[in-house]
Formats: sequence, structure tokens, C-alpha cells
Amino acid sequence: MLIAPAVLVIVLFRLWPLLLGVNFSFTGDGERNGSAVGLDNYVELFADPLFLGALRNVGWLVLLLPIAVAIPGMLATFIYLRVPGHRFYRSVYFFPAVLSPVIVGSIFNLLLSFDGPVNSVLDLAGLGPVDWLGDSNVAMFTVVGVHVWATFGMSLVVFLSGFATLDPALLDAARSDGASLSQVIRHVIIPGLSRTIQFVFVTTMIGMLTSMFGLIYVMTSGGPGGSTYLPEYYIWIQQGQMNRPAFASAASTVLFLVMLVVGLAQVSFLRRTGRED
Amino acid sequence: MRGARLSRWLIAAPMALLALATIYPLVFTGNAAMKTRRDYILDRFAFADTLRWDNIATAWTSAGTARYFFNSVIVVAGAVALLLLLGSMAGFALSHLRFRGSRALFLGCLAALFVPFQVIMVPLVRTMADTGLVDTYPGLILAYVAQYLPFTIYLMASYYSAIPAEIVDAARIDGNTTYGVYRRIMLPMGRPALLSVGVLNALFCWNDVLIALLMMPSAEHRTLMVGVTSLRGQYSADIPTFASGVLIAAVPVLAVYLFFQRRIADAVTAGSTKG
Repeated sequence: MLIAPAVLVIVLFRLWPLLLGVNFSFTGDGERNGSAVGLDNYVELFADPLFLGALRNVGWLVLLLPIAVAIPGMLATFIYLRVPGHRFYRSVYFFPAVLSPVIVGSIFNLLLSFDGPVNSVLDLAGLGPVDWLGDSNVAMFTVVGVHVWATFGMSLVVFLSGFATLDPALLDAARSDGASLSQVIRHVIIPGLSRTIQFVFVTTMIGMLTSMFGLIYVMTSGGPGGSTYLPEYYIWIQQGQMNRPAFASAASTVLFLVMLVVGLAQVSFLRRTGRED
Repeated sequence: MRGARLSRWLIAAPMALLALATIYPLVFTGNAAMKTRRDYILDRFAFADTLRWDNIATAWTSAGTARYFFNSVIVVAGAVALLLLLGSMAGFALSHLRFRGSRALFLGCLAALFVPFQVIMVPLVRTMADTGLVDTYPGLILAYVAQYLPFTIYLMASYYSAIPAEIVDAARIDGNTTYGVYRRIMLPMGRPALLSVGVLNALFCWNDVLIALLMMPSAEHRTLMVGVTSLRGQYSADIPTFASGVLIAAVPVLAVYLFFQRRIADAVTAGSTKG
């Protein structure tokens, strides 16, 4: 009895919509509302340059993923090894992770505008100016960079909790054998933390695919020239702005499959590399 | 030894720089909010010589911010209360009660954890619209509960599973019903976990923009984060007021962070160590 309300909410508003959405994606919008259209939505989807651009950006995210994992991993290692001021860094680094993407995006809109403070500092150094949000070759990397700035503290904390399970005797042994820092990282820390690393890889990827909407919405609105579209933003545009819910559902289904494939591929890849050690 | 100490400082220096890069954007925004427009244009980086609150007052009264703030408070309070109630009941049931299908239910909750909102948002909003819940407080509250309940249940169940079964058995022998055990034992004993999970859920709901955009189309029901997204357009020539609006939305979060730092970090990592 205690569990009934929770189950009701989850089934009704989370699991059922998933089935509904897949089903919905095979129907039409507008004049063809409700009628079965087979794979039409999917065919149109994969012919739309905006959606293909969004998928290409997902590809960039996958390529940038190791960096987004390595940064908090390295920082956590240094904090674990007690660099001077480690306690301070721990709480400072985590702090942007609690801010809304909307607030983060607004702040960086201010800092990164073409005549903004960042460019004026670059100018002092004789560099730039860079059109951070207005250049279609740069904007996606700017947004991803801001996302990493805002979220690396989350992964850092997860890494630190992984370090807490590491046997300190191993580290002392490696140290007294005269191992260098990079040797310690390669032979003690990475094998010892393989589960944590795996977890951070998967959560960072999920975060990139599902929590950048706020940043894109505030910083670029998908622009310039559609260069900062991600599937989640595309879904929102089709649903909210274009009023094409069935078509948006097809995009949702593709996003779900992409996440499933990326997640499973990562897990199996990391398992395999973990075994070789 | 000498060399080791040197290399430690070589690592600490970039880390300090990074810490600065983490804090400075917010300091810049707070500083901009304290300046007059003229001072900001003359020198963006100089620190404001006095604390001036009139930009904050303008942002609070003129852009509908007060109204949005109030909306956010209602929705966050409602969603967190409901999340903690449903989450602790289900967490208790899944960790201590054996019944037919309990394992399947637990797996169902876990599966729901991996269904991102973007994947279900279209049919969800349609269902909400069909039942008249779009553009109402209960509708947005329910959407948040649905979104964060699997995670809440998961954390509560793993916290409760550390409580020995003997305690539950003893309470039953004393004549408590299942509901009595929940109210008299589990709810009070779960307080630390409820606090952590509650704080985290409050942050999630307060910070959300996508769900709020979809569920609250009319201006009078807008939440604060949705309000912030339109500030830039309104105050494009008045950066201090824009910065003030951003600051108003960020300050409650900062306060919560300073008070509950450890708890937030604990709740974030609780999911990862079980893995």
C-alpha cells in the first residue's frame, strides 16, 4: 500500500509516456494528425540538416568526453594526494554544479559577448577578439566548455568518493618503491578506480545529452546557423515552436536509442580495457 | 623531498587559478549588480566602491521577478514535500517489505531512472494537457515529482536498507501496523537522508528550465528560471539590472550551498558508490 502512489506516478508519467511516444512517432502531425504514417517522420528526420547537425554535435561530445572526464579525474587525484589547500579546492570546484544552467548561461553571455570582459582581457594580452557565441565554428565548443566549467565539480566529488574506497597501503607501497606520479596514476589509481571511472563516463555523457538545454536556450538558441543544436533542443523546437509533436516524438525515440547505444558501448569498452590491466 | 615539495606547489598554482576561474564569474556578476550603468561602462572590472541596492530593487519589481520568485517557491515546496513523502514510503516498502513483485517494482524504479525527460516530454505534456494540468501549479509539481521520484526512491531505499530488520520486527511485535512502523520508526530514522535528498531535489526543481517552459506557458505562472531567460532581452542596454536579476535567482542557491555543502555532496555520491 505504501508503494502504490509512487508506482502510480512513475508508471503513469514516466514509463507509459515512453511507450506512448514511440507509438506516437509513427503517426502524423497537422492535417494527418493521428493517422498512421509508417516511417515518414524518421525519413524526414534524417533528411533534415538541422537534425543531422545535432547528431554531428553529439559526435563531438563523444570525442570531447575523455577530456571532460580527465579534468575532474586529475583534479580529484591532486586533492586526494593533498596538494596545499585541497580542502578549499574541493568546496570551490563543486560550487558551480549547484547553479542552474540558466544562471550559468546568463553569466557567460555577459562575459563572452563580443565586446565583453573576456575579449577585453584577451585584447590586453594582444590576442583575439574571439566571437565566442557568434562564430558557427566556435559556438558549440564555447557552450560545451561552459557546460564542463559548470559540472566538473559534480564528477570531482564522485571521483573523491571513489578514492575513499582505494587502499592507501597500495599507494604507500608504490611511493616507497619510487614510483613517479604518472606511474602511480597508471598502475594504482586507474585500475583501482575502474568502476568509478566507468560511472563518471556514463553520467557525464548522459549529462551532456540531457542537461545542456538550458545553456543552449540562453546562450545561442541553437545558433548561429543551427550550429549548436543538440537532439534535446531539436525536440523542444519541434514540439514547442513548430507544433509538431509526432515528429518531435520520432526525434525523442532516436535520442533514446543514441543514449542506449552510447551507454552500452562505453560500458563494454571500459570493461574490456579494464580487463587488460 | 625538496623536489617533491616544489612539484606540489607547481600543481597547486594552476589549481588555485582554476579556483579563481570558478568563482570569478559570479563575483563579476555580483559586482556589476552593485554599479551604476555609467560606472559599469567606464570600467567593468573595478570593484564597486559602495553597495548600491537600487539595481536589485529595479530587477525585483519591474521585470515580474517578484511574481516569478513566488511561483518558484510554491512549486519547489510542493514538489519537495510530495517527493519526500512518496519517496520515503516507497523506499521503506522496497527495502523492508517482502511482497509479491517487490523485486520487479524495484527494477521498474531503476529503469525509470534511465528514461531521460527529453525522451518522454512530448507525450507527457500531451497527457498533462488532456487532463487540464498544463499551466497549473499541481501540474508542474506533478511533473517534477515524476521526474525526480525514481532517484529519490533509490536513495531512500538504499539508506533504509542499512536499518536492521530486527528493528522493524520489534516494532511490529509492539503492535504497530506497517503504516505505524513507517510513521513511528522509518520517518524519524530517515531524517538525515530526507534532508539530503530534499535539499538536492529542491535545487533540481529550482534550477530547472525545460520542464517549467513546457508546463507553464502563461506569464503569470512563469518560474524564476524561465523569467531569467528573458532578462537579457529586456535589459540588453542595462547590464547592472540584468546582473541583478541573475543574482536574485542565484542567491537562494548560494545560501543553500553554503549551509548544506556536505549533504549535497553526500547525496550526489550516494548513488555512485553502491554501483
